[in-house]
Amino acid sequence: MNPNPPVAIEFKGVSKFFGNFHANRKLSFSVAKGSIHGLIGENGAGKSTAMKVLFGVQPADEGEILINGKPVVIRNPVHAMKLGIGMVHQHFMLAESETVLDNIVLGHEPALFPGILLRNKARTQLARICEEYGLKFDKWDVPVRDLSVGEQQRVEIIKLLYQQSDVLILDEPTAVLTPQEVKELFTNLRKLKQEGKTIILISHKLKEVLEFTDAVTVMRRGEVVGTKVTSETNEDELAEMMVGRKVSFTYQGPRKILSAQAREPKPVLKFVSERVSIELKPGEILGVAGVQGNGQTEFLKALSNPAVYGEKYFKGKYDYHINGREIGDADPIRLRQMGVGLVPEDRLSEALLKKQDMTENFLLGQHEDPRYTSWGFLGRMIDRGKAKAAVEKNIQAFDIRPSFSTVWAGRMSGGNQQKLVMARLLDPQPSILYIAHPTRGVDVGAIEKIHDAIMHERNMGKSVILFSSELDELIDLCDRMVVFFDGRVHGEFARKDFDPWAIEKVMGGA
Amino acid sequence: MKRLMKSLLKPIAGVLLGLSLALIVTWFAGESPLKVLKVLFQSSFGSGYDFGMTLFYSAPLILTGLAVSIPIRAGLFNVGGEGQLLMGAMAAAYAGVVGKNIASPLVAIAFASGMAFLGGGLWGLIPGVLKAKRGSHEVITTIMMNFIAAGLTSYVTLYLIKDPESSQAETIPVPPSFHLKPFESFAGAPMGWLIVALIVLVVIVHYWMWNSVRGYQLKAVGENETAAETYGISRQKAWMFSMFLAGGMAGLVGVVEVLGNSHRFKLGFSADYGFVGIAVALLARGNILGIIPAAFLFGILQKGAASLDLETDKVTRDLSYIIQGLIILGVVSEGLFEWRKKAKNA
Repeated sequence: MNPNPPVAIEFKGVSKFFGNFHANRKLSFSVAKGSIHGLIGENGAGKSTAMKVLFGVQPADEGEILINGKPVVIRNPVHAMKLGIGMVHQHFMLAESETVLDNIVLGHEPALFPGILLRNKARTQLARICEEYGLKFDKWDVPVRDLSVGEQQRVEIIKLLYQQSDVLILDEPTAVLTPQEVKELFTNLRKLKQEGKTIILISHKLKEVLEFTDAVTVMRRGEVVGTKVTSETNEDELAEMMVGRKVSFTYQGPRKILSAQAREPKPVLKFVSERVSIELKPGEILGVAGVQGNGQTEFLKALSNPAVYGEKYFKGKYDYHINGREIGDADPIRLRQMGVGLVPEDRLSEALLKKQDMTENFLLGQHEDPRYTSWGFLGRMIDRGKAKAAVEKNIQAFDIRPSFSTVWAGRMSGGNQQKLVMARLLDPQPSILYIAHPTRGVDVGAIEKIHDAIMHERNMGKSVILFSSELDELIDLCDRMVVFFDGRVHGEFARKDFDPWAIEKVMGGA
Repeated sequence: MKRLMKSLLKPIAGVLLGLSLALIVTWFAGESPLKVLKVLFQSSFGSGYDFGMTLFYSAPLILTGLAVSIPIRAGLFNVGGEGQLLMGAMAAAYAGVVGKNIASPLVAIAFASGMAFLGGGLWGLIPGVLKAKRGSHEVITTIMMNFIAAGLTSYVTLYLIKDPESSQAETIPVPPSFHLKPFESFAGAPMGWLIVALIVLVVIVHYWMWNSVRGYQLKAVGENETAAETYGISRQKAWMFSMFLAGGMAGLVGVVEVLGNSHRFKLGFSADYGFVGIAVALLARGNILGIIPAAFLFGILQKGAASLDLETDKVTRDLSYIIQGLIILGVVSEGLFEWRKKAKNA
């Protein structure tokens, strides 16, 4: 890096209050022109607030922001865009049913005179932009809803380039992408950097920040803890800055050798079909690895809800036994009664009722459990008192925050939502656990707790099928791993043979 | 308590806003707003009869308000209250025809009420089944079912059980054992213990919705279908059940009308109760207990409509409808207040 690079953005003592709450307190840091700058911190550390101030969504209450060395007051997002600042939000702001082209030119239409849109002119302009920045894209006339998530993100980036943004803010851009899409994204970002664009990357994934940024600013509790040159720091240091204490990334607790494993154990679960066949032994964590979209989702759905998905994904042709009992097309309630617990893939869309409180969410799936219900004059009634007591016990046990049970699930951070889902999973003491992406979008601190909880279950002799897109997580926790490719089980690894390189090859189809 | 006050604040503010706008309109029309208010108050509370009539107008709205509020919890918008109440009323009238030998009022009333509930319920169940099995949009199907119900009840009234001694389009009257007794103090207004029963019904539905497993299932489906399915709650069942229950509630309007008032099915008896029920549910903001005051307010306006027409020079019946519309707008504009607050914070 240039020893004295020009500064694109500088924060000087910027603060933002909401009432008495300091969302940002005296932030000071600078972003070099033509660099990729990471902004990291746990959920609620104030990263997003800082970027909203920069993008003109909320005004700063104190301090000033300098763009290219000049102090500016950014009034609103339109003003920010005029100053060359563009933002890709975590949830894309695209009109789904309109074409890519129309989405991109929206607000900046090339027109003959107002009202007549010159689509062909726009098309050549966009092609030139893509060529200039080495982006591969040509689906201009496809409606946005028909694009993959990765492509939609690329559209957002092209849109910023079309608006001639010099500084691109990306809010958690990889949270929604597959590993391959992540690679492509960062290849593209590097090219943009070479062309002189400045990129601010909001993230809480340390690995990608270390790999792809030039410098990184760490925030905690609304304050800047420090800014580091990426090549001079490491994962442990950043994590400690983020969380405020030492954090371990690998499971440090005991991994018991269970007596059941020593003998040739009888499987507790068997699923046999033409494409996928697995057996699950007592006291083991079986990992399911694979690039997203290779049949893991379908397999998990069929396992956890054969009533709906057994027919849909396996045409009803499968043999599914738990503890020697035929499952057939049982529904999730029946599976629960047989000791199965589930953490679904997508927390918000599959596991939670966002506009209901913790107690209601805790009851989801347990709403017929006799521990929390009783028969009354109007049918089976929920015993809220008992449910609430159980929730409060679990808030303590899992350190869920905020710690009052009346908060809406949608208002909790990702990590705390996941702790609630884990608490609900373990509450009926299941003996077979299907757990998918337990740490996706979860803070470093919460990851540790969740991993401990999963291993604790295993060490108690429970059996776990762990679906994850993080290979490190699987290698760390699992006793055995199957790799999915093209809808099939394509390979199997015992713990002693866990080799990331070999596993990745199988994930790619080798 | 504080939370209750807060939740009441916005609808009350909306009502006051709508009412003030309406009074401005009357003022422009050349009528003193004070007089309009006085007439509205007099006509609703002025005498036992007036109050009884206000309650009589409110009662069907309580039921049709429920018919909208229950399926909303499961994520469905029931626009079919009108058709469901027609079918319920027809079923109640028909109960009187087949059960003409039932002498015990208790049995007769229970029988007719059950029939009314079933009539409306089954009529509501049809769109529910179509939604669950075929994915047909409930707004479309319930509207269609309204037309079919109107045609069907008119056919049954005119050709199957028409009262041969009447020159009007009405069915054979139900026998006296089917009659509900009004309160004497209402001096002829056709409303008695039924209004108390309806209020109890609302409280029961409210309690049931928040504390029963089935109510929980409905709410889970309404809030997040995918999550509900993942945890073993059938959205199909929730949809069908909520529509059956909603239809049944609307069907009970038949009890108010047939057993309480005209003692027969009269074509065109409903003053758009099914549709006003949508406004009632809207005003109650999805809160089931809120249906009671909301229905009462609309009852006042309906009762007042006739009096305004008679007792003022410039204000016609239509103005009452304008007031209703403005009140709905006032309540809906609550989003406006929030938007302004946001703009101020930013």
